[in-house]
Amino acid sequence: MSKSRPQLPLTPAVFHILLALFGKERHGYDIMQQVSGDAVKMGPGTLYGSLDRMIEAGLVAKGNIQDPRRIYYRLTALGQTTLRAETERLSRAALLARRQLGSA
Amino acid sequence: MTRPARQKESRSLRLYTRLLELYPPSFLQRHRAEMLQNFADLEDAAASKAKLWLLIGKDLAMSLMSHFFGSRLGHYVIAVLVTWILIFAIGYFFYGPTPGRPALHAFAGFLPGMLAMYFATRLYGTPQNSISHFFRSRFDIYVIGVFVAWILLFVIGYYIYGPTRGHPALQVFGGFLPGMLAMYIATHVYGMP
Repeated sequence: MSKSRPQLPLTPAVFHILLALFGKERHGYDIMQQVSGDAVKMGPGTLYGSLDRMIEAGLVAKGNIQDPRRIYYRLTALGQTTLRAETERLSRAALLARRQLGSA
Repeated sequence: MTRPARQKESRSLRLYTRLLELYPPSFLQRHRAEMLQNFADLEDAAASKAKLWLLIGKDLAMSLMSHFFGSRLGHYVIAVLVTWILIFAIGYFFYGPTPGRPALHAFAGFLPGMLAMYFATRLYGTPQNSISHFFRSRFDIYVIGVFVAWILLFVIGYYIYGPTRGHPALQVFGGFLPGMLAMYIATHVYGMP
């Protein structure tokens, strides 16, 4: 994935992690709690596998790493841009679907 | 290794610690402490052990498959499986869909053979090349244990069903050995993910 432009569409897991990190640094368990409030259930293996890929793609960075059991993660500028772009894309798709369903 | 901040480790946490060894070492180096802490937190918050292990079981299966099939070893295994399926399909079309064709049973034995060797390598490390080291490590004890169990199963099946020529038990047993061998070669050539 390019480090300068958002690559869409995102997987549901990546989208929900980005959403959980918007505006606040969070550690892994906190992210899982945030994500579990939505439709996606995520365990530690899936979460850290996704976080590794997101760090590599430049969407997320490590924040506070003092306690190795509670490493904090935060959104990068690219992560924020990608989240906004994906939200826009999903909104357009939902709008289109509503129109189609409304006309059916 | 950093342990989660708890007074006493539960049996579930000890089991999870053991299961974590199935992940690639580089991944564990980065996330072991966090994952153990997360598990401890999940366990504290879980309504029941069954729900907790349902989530963890699904998570382990999905994430391990993702790690495995993203690795060079995973690509090799896919290639071997595709080849094996092709051989099976060619045999099937040549001999027709006769029930109990050897190819079907050999194919069935091949998959658990690969899986058994993969778990052995993941849990006990890549085996030593030297013969003098074989029979000394936990890896080899595991491999021999699986072989003995497989032979026992075969012998029991053979005695129950009689020494039928071309009996499925014999062919499944035959497929298991190349399965183990294929994965053994793979782990030596490509290393573990």
